[in-house]
Formats: sequence, structure tokens, C-alpha cells
Amino acid sequence: MMKEYFTDLEAGIQKAISGGNSSHRKLYTLELARLGKKLYSGTDSIAWCGITAPFDLLNAMGVTSCFVEFIGAMLATTGVVGSFIEETDHTGYSSDACSYHRSVSGAAIKGMMPVPEFLIGTTNPCSGGLAVLENLAHRFGRELFVLHIPQDDSAGNVRFLANQMREMVAFASRITGRKLDDVALRKSVENSNRTSEIMKEIFELAGHMPSPAASRDLSNFGIVMSLFLGGEQAITIAEAYRDEFRKRIDAGDYGKSEGKFRLLWIQNRIQFRHGLEKMLEEEYGASIIIDELNDITWDPIDPENPFEGFARRSISIPFNGTIEKRIEHLKKLAREYRIDGAVNPCNWGCRQGTGARGLMENGLKEIGVPVLNLEVDCVDSRKFTEGQLRTRLEAFMEMLDTREPLWK
Amino acid sequence: MSVNKGVIGFACAYTPLPLIRAAGFESYRVLPNVDCPDQAGRLLHDNLCPHVKRVLDRAMSGMIPDLKGMVFMNSCDSMRRLYDAWKAVKTDMNIVLIDLPSVSTNASIGFFRDELERLSRTIEQWGGTAIDDASLAGSIGLYNRVASLFTALREKSRRSELKGDSAALQEAYNRASIASPEEAIAFLEAILDEVADTKKGEPGVPVYLFGNVLPEPEAFTLFESCGAHIVSDDLCTGSRLFTAIEPGGGDILLNMARGILGRPPCARTFSAERPGSLGGDVAAGAVKAGARGVIGYTAKFCDPYIARLPGVRESLRREGIPFLLLEGDCTLRSIGQHRTRIEAFVEMMR
Ligand code: SF4
Ligand code: SF4
Repeated sequence: MMKEYFTDLEAGIQKAISGGNSSHRKLYTLELARLGKKLYSGTDSIAWCGITAPFDLLNAMGVTSCFVEFIGAMLATTGVVGSFIEETDHTGYSSDACSYHRSVSGAAIKGMMPVPEFLIGTTNPCSGGLAVLENLAHRFGRELFVLHIPQDDSAGNVRFLANQMREMVAFASRITGRKLDDVALRKSVENSNRTSEIMKEIFELAGHMPSPAASRDLSNFGIVMSLFLGGEQAITIAEAYRDEFRKRIDAGDYGKSEGKFRLLWIQNRIQFRHGLEKMLEEEYGASIIIDELNDITWDPIDPENPFEGFARRSISIPFNGTIEKRIEHLKKLAREYRIDGAVNPCNWGCRQGTGARGLMENGLKEIGVPVLNLEVDCVDSRKFTEGQLRTRLEAFMEMLDTREPLWK
Repeated sequence: MSVNKGVIGFACAYTPLPLIRAAGFESYRVLPNVDCPDQAGRLLHDNLCPHVKRVLDRAMSGMIPDLKGMVFMNSCDSMRRLYDAWKAVKTDMNIVLIDLPSVSTNASIGFFRDELERLSRTIEQWGGTAIDDASLAGSIGLYNRVASLFTALREKSRRSELKGDSAALQEAYNRASIASPEEAIAFLEAILDEVADTKKGEPGVPVYLFGNVLPEPEAFTLFESCGAHIVSDDLCTGSRLFTAIEPGGGDILLNMARGILGRPPCARTFSAERPGSLGGDVAAGAVKAGARGVIGYTAKFCDPYIARLPGVRESLRREGIPFLLLEGDCTLRSIGQHRTRIEAFVEMMR
């Protein structure tokens, strides 16, 4: 089913592109389809990973690697996630857990996850994610390597993680027989750096007043782009986004929202189809112009000394460490992008983000940015009550409308 | 070794108590079983583990002793959020978050060793005495004595020779978790010297108990009143807090790190070489203890356990060991609601 889905998706988009109907979003989706197709090809060397694994490093080894939550998001997008979650529930897995992980577990039980050659667990972003990698390693009978992502970038911590990544390379080589080629690694690092540089430009352009970014444009962008890092295609996608945003600014085309309200989205988007973003744009002139994870929080990686750079990058992800660091990052985004209000979906089952919603709300309030906390399961559409959420969003937007503008 | 520097609080069974002691502090476990107003929801979401929320409730209600500081272990997302919330609530209190690896490899043991060193430096700055190898070894020795007395006490309880049965054992765990090791040694020796009750009536059905946070002695009384006899436990508020550490020669902090990471793991720590081994470990523990069935008790919303329980269920099913899973919020009220299920489970095994 997944193989056909990705194959059809790739064919459909390719047809549109060769028919002259290309766009930044199409190029991005094309690459998603290609990754999915490779994962389900049955021929590629595959690694299932945690979200903060160094994908460019694995890509340089010729290993098709992906974080498992990607599958949960894909199942949600295709609207079939319910039966996979139910499969997990039947094993006695509590419905209090994150649905990304419940759907992935269900996919594995149903034989819908390709058997990997190995797995890389990461301690960041969440306890649930690491646990699922352990379970999958057990189910598939494949070896697991765990990357412990320390809480801050003190010299000792960076060294510790860089050394673990070196060990990870040796581990992957032992299993796959693939060596890490110096030339391939250098190329991968250069491509990563170039992509990150252009992504920075994209985010800066999104911060233009008014913003050229429509709510869907940058949905899941930062987190999914990490999967493509190291490859040329990541540069192509990033350039297409940058050029599109420049073009919109030059043409004064600010879409339906016309940039009236600028919203910050905390953590991940709602993965299945819904009408909330459209409603925000069309009825309130509000656009989600920046997501918490759409930021380059790391410095360019030194090709002469890449492991330390990879380590720093994994440590720098805003979900890592204490909430103070995360709140500082949210405040920085709110200021840089002149945000009017923030929306936190509070994905049910996420102790990582949702757990601290009160603290994040207080933190943003300190700089005058109100936060709307919703109660959503971002993956399980069966629980979605659009009407209720619509009412909450409407009230929030009306409150924003009556306030003095925050940024002069 | 003088212990007059004050009291340091903690909330996780992985906390290196001998280190706190070696700096001249007493340690105090902030257990979640103290009745106080439910306020944690103001800062932490409803779907966060009730253990951390009740510990925070205590801090917000001022129902904790005067602490010199609080040591948090980065054991899971919820614990990290507890650290964050505690910091917001107790703005003038010393607190530290110590990273805790999930797997025990040479590299992670070395890393954890450095975290223990950071903890040493930190609590020295909180007014503690400088920790040297001799004081740390002495402190480890005292806690090892506590651990071995608990092993004897568990054995006594298993043989049904402990006055007050497993509830008394839990009472002892709770007392020891807020006492100095010397005090713990004294009262544990006294309990061990007590003469056994003469048991009347039908013996209870031997049951192995595992899970996370269940500090209420009355919960154990409840199990026993339902006809179960707890022959062994593997709980964060039970046997896991007091396990012996081999101080060995050489770098004592490294040995301590190895000892802590090498103890029987709870769900948040595992072996990357043997993924999914918790199920097998629980089954083996039950067989070793001569249990006829297993009761699992876990705090709701605990991700480390939620993810591993299907594997535990599967392993026990394969071994033909009956299993009852109870979920609760660390209060007696929540466990009391399960009486009928516990009775039926025990009855089924008779
Ligand atoms: S939503 Fe939260 S629990 Fe789920 S995968 Fe993301 S960080 Fe982990
Ligand atoms: S009970 Fe579970 S979720 Fe709660 S602190 Fe312990 S390990 Fe973490």
C-alpha cells in the first residue's frame, strides 16, 4: 500500500512538473515521494531512526534513513491512520501515548514498515520515540544503536556526542559493509551547509512585512528537510522556496491573508486534512509565517571536523534540554518575525512539548505574545473536533483584533 | 563524616545518594503520597505523569522540608518538565538537572561519570564539603549496608516472617528514603530482629510486583487482603532505590556510574544489545521469586512503561504467567478502585 502510494505520488507530481506546472511545494513533495519509494523499494539499505539522527552522515554512507514519525505523519495525511492505531491499541499499548508512535507501531505490526538493516535511537526529542525504536529493533530482530543527545553544548558534551556518532559510523559499516568515504562525507557536509544557508534566507524572507509565506507553505518544512540534508536535491528544493518567496515579495503578492496577522506555530502541525489554516487566512487575514522547528539553530559544519558540527546541531534543536532554552528560542522567533500570537496544538500524548505548555505560555506572555493552547491529536483524525477548535481560534483571533498592535 | 550541611531533596530512584551524603548533606525523597491541593495543572498538562505532578503539588503547597537544594535526574520527558516547573515555582532554591544515559555503554558510563562529577561540584557550591574518595567510599559503604539489610528484609517478607508483611517493607523503604543511612541501618536492623508473626489461615498466592511509583504501604495491605502474597518487587519506590554499588579501585566516580547504570533497569533504561528485554526480565524475576502471577502497577501517562508493557504482556503470556496490569495516579484511592480486579486475579490463580 505505501509503496504504491509513494510511486503514484511521484508519478503524479513528475507529470505535473514536466507539464510545466512546477512549484516549490511540488518539488518538496516529489522528494518526499522519492524518499518513501526508496524506503519501500525492498532494495535500499534502510535505517529507521530517531528525529535528531545525523541524516546527512547516513546519506553519505548510502543508507536511506528516516525518522519513524515520518510514517505516522504519512499515514495521517493519507487518512488511513485509524486502523494502524487500533492495531497498536490491541497489544495493550495505552491510548495515552503519542499517536505518531502508536501509528508507527501499528504499521510495524501489520507488516507495513520495511525491515531495516539497523536502527538508530535518539534520546531527543522524546522518551516515547526512543522506546518505539527499541520496540522496533526487537520486532525486526535488528541491531540498535542509541545516540544520547546531551542537554547543552558544553565542550565535554559535544565531544561525547561526536564520538558516539563516530561509533555509529563504525556500527553502520559493520552491518552494511558500507564505508564512510571521505569525499562523499565532504560533499554531504558542503551540501548540508549550502541547504542550511538557503533555508536561513527562506525564513528571513518569510519574516518580511507583509510575509510572502502562506500557512501551508512551510508546514513540516524544517523537520522534513533534515531528511534530505547532504543531497543536491535539498538545495534544489530550498532554492525553489527562496525564489518563490522573493518573487512574491517583488510582485507584492501576499496571498489571501495579506499579512494582517502573523502567527507562530509551536511544535508540529496537524498532519491530516483540516480547514483551520484556510479559515484563519480567509476569515481573519492570519497566516502561520513561522513554525518553531523552522529555524537553523546551528553554525555551518566544518568539513574538516564534521562530527563536532553534527553533534552541535543535534544538541541545538529547540526541543532539547530545559524549557528555559526552548522559551528563549520561541521569544527570539516571536521578536524576529513580529508575531501577533502563537498557537500550540498540544499534541495529545506528547510529554515533551505539551507537558510544559503552561511555562511556554507564560514565557511568551512576558513579551506580550498571547498563546492559544489547543487540545488536538495531530495524527489521529478520528478524535478531531473541527467545530470546537474553530470556535477557540475565532475567539483568539477576535482578541488579537481588539489589541493594540504589538510591534510598531 | 559529618552530616550537618542540611537536606537535599530528590525524586528519582537513580539519584546517587552516596554522593549527596559524602558532601555532608542528608537526602530526602519527595514522595508523591502526601495529600495537598492539586495545583500542578497550572504549569503542567493533564496528560503528564501523576508522579511528577504530585511532587510539584508538594512544592507548590510548601509541603516539603527546608531544602538546601533539589537534585533532578533527566530520566524521562516528565522528569525534565518537573525540573522546569520546579524552577519556576521555587525561584530561590538551588536545583540541578543531571543527565542520565538510557543505555549502559563504556561511552555513556564515562559521560555519566562526568555528570556525577558535575553534581559533586554543584552540591559543594550549595555549601557542602569537598568530596574526596575516602568520604565517598565510606558513604557508598553505608548505603551498601542499607541495600544488604533491605535484601534480608525482602527475604524475610518473602518467607512471610515480617511483622506487617509487605506493607511494613514498603513503610521501611519510605522511611529509609528520607533518612540518613545510619538511621536506616539502625531501624532496619531492629525490624530484622523482630520476631515473626504467627500466620493463621490460608497462605497468600505468591505474586511478583513490578512497575514504577507505588509508595503507599496501604496498597500492599490491599494486595494482601485480596489474597496475594508479594514475594518480590521491582518498583522505583521499592527495591530499586537501594542497590549495592561496588566502589572498586581506581576512579571511584566511574565505578559509581557503572554501578548505577548497571543495576536492574526500570523501563527508562535498557540494553541496546538486547532490545525489548524488559519483558523477559520481568518473567525471569517472577520465576526466580517463585511467583504464580505478576501484578504490574504503573503511573498513568508514563511513556517509558506504556511503550514496554505490550512486550512484558507478551513475554508473560509466552511463559504462561498470569498478568494483571493496574494503572493509577500514585494514590491509595486509585489503587483501591482495583480491589475487585485484584481479588478476581488472585482467585483465578488459587
Ligand atoms: S509529538 Fe512529542 S511525543 Fe510525539 S514524536 Fe513529537 S516530540 Fe515525541
Ligand atoms: S513514573 Fe514514568 S513518566 Fe513518571 S517520572 Fe517515572 S519514569 Fe517518568
